[in-house]
Amino acid sequence: MLKRFDPFAVLALVAIPGAVATVFFYAPLERTMGVVQKIFYFHLGLAAAAFLSFFVACVAGVLYLVQRQRVRDEQCAAAVEVGVLFTTLVLLTGSIWGRPIWNTWWTWDPRLTTSLILWFIFAGCLILRGAVEQEEKRAVFCAVMAIVGFVDVPVVFLSARRWRSIHPTVIRSEGIALEPAMIVTLAVSLFAMLILWAALFRLRCSIQRQENTLLDLQQQLQR
Amino acid sequence: MTLPRQILLLYRKDLRVEVRKKESLIAMAFFGVLIMVILNLAAGLDRRLQAEPAAGILWVAILFSSVLGLGRVFAREKENNCVAALLVSPLSPGALFAAKALVNFTLMSFSELVLVPVFFALFGAGLQPGLPVLLLLLALVNLGFSAAGTLLSALAAGTRRNEVMLPILLYPLCLPLVALAVKSTGAAFGGRPLTEIRDLIESMAAFGLIYAAVGYLLFSHAVREV
Repeated sequence: MLKRFDPFAVLALVAIPGAVATVFFYAPLERTMGVVQKIFYFHLGLAAAAFLSFFVACVAGVLYLVQRQRVRDEQCAAAVEVGVLFTTLVLLTGSIWGRPIWNTWWTWDPRLTTSLILWFIFAGCLILRGAVEQEEKRAVFCAVMAIVGFVDVPVVFLSARRWRSIHPTVIRSEGIALEPAMIVTLAVSLFAMLILWAALFRLRCSIQRQENTLLDLQQQLQR
Repeated sequence: MTLPRQILLLYRKDLRVEVRKKESLIAMAFFGVLIMVILNLAAGLDRRLQAEPAAGILWVAILFSSVLGLGRVFAREKENNCVAALLVSPLSPGALFAAKALVNFTLMSFSELVLVPVFFALFGAGLQPGLPVLLLLLALVNLGFSAAGTLLSALAAGTRRNEVMLPILLYPLCLPLVALAVKSTGAAFGGRPLTEIRDLIESMAAFGLIYAAVGYLLFSHAVREV
């Protein structure tokens, strides 16, 4: 049943403005990068939530193939959708940061490449969902694709290590040397992004469920 | 029937169809050569290529032409609903996957018999490949691409837009394989020894094995829905 207020949605309504306030009013200004550095807090939170999303999609896919329960397909579809959305935001925020700092919108760093390939794989998964109409077939195909896509992650990272490694401007260990206040801010915004992810994920699951219920009702009426 | 005999039976069936109709191989070789000519124009005529861009051209031609054959191998079974017949027969879905992957492997290898010599005729000046290294790299890419491609061609065949879906799903998945292949082949064309590209070769083998295993496990689920 649809609840009017999802607890995670309510929590996100507090957490996201809270994180924004912490980033802009509590966190100290970075000396060399200045205000540009603040996007990093959102970027990292989004990236963590996106990877979590693809992991959830893979697990839900495996569970669907084993249990054949509709709820697993709903979770798999929701996780893929939210994951693609978050990865898009990760790539965008990264580019916005990279333009003034690296002086380029894009470089073929392992992490960037891995995120981009994941985006392609799971966006393909969404296209696949759109191309199949029968419910069970769509669910199986989406589950297979989510598993296959997640399995690709280690290989992608392995290959990306050697991929265009001539670029020396890459900053690899952003998270190591941070001020204590910055670490607090990072934790707050990471938490807020995970809450937002959970809220969107649950919302998308419930929409999916309602669509399925509607289809069932239509089929009963036709009979 | 034991698993190897099942695989052999299916494999011979598919090869016989291919030998009689010759629909995939000719198209694959023709399209591959066409891509090389197009890329030659795109790279600028009469320019001597560096080892790595040359390797890129070879792999783009091979992989873009292979997807034509890959799609056909499974789409053929959809005509007259042959998939259902295969599924009710006492053959295991795992054998079906292995046989189809082997057929794809064979088709890719045969089209490479045409494409690689043509590649060296068009771009070969200044490249110094060792034949064993090149054969090893071709075999590894064929393995990875046919394993992943067989699984995904089953998915693509289940959709209404088969020809569109297969490349959309397959190429993102195979991007790491392409990157590894281009890097290692470029190194081989540059005359560097095998020991230098050992970790690349290991990653390519890992890709092939991972998708052979994942495909074997997931294929039975996918093929029942086609």
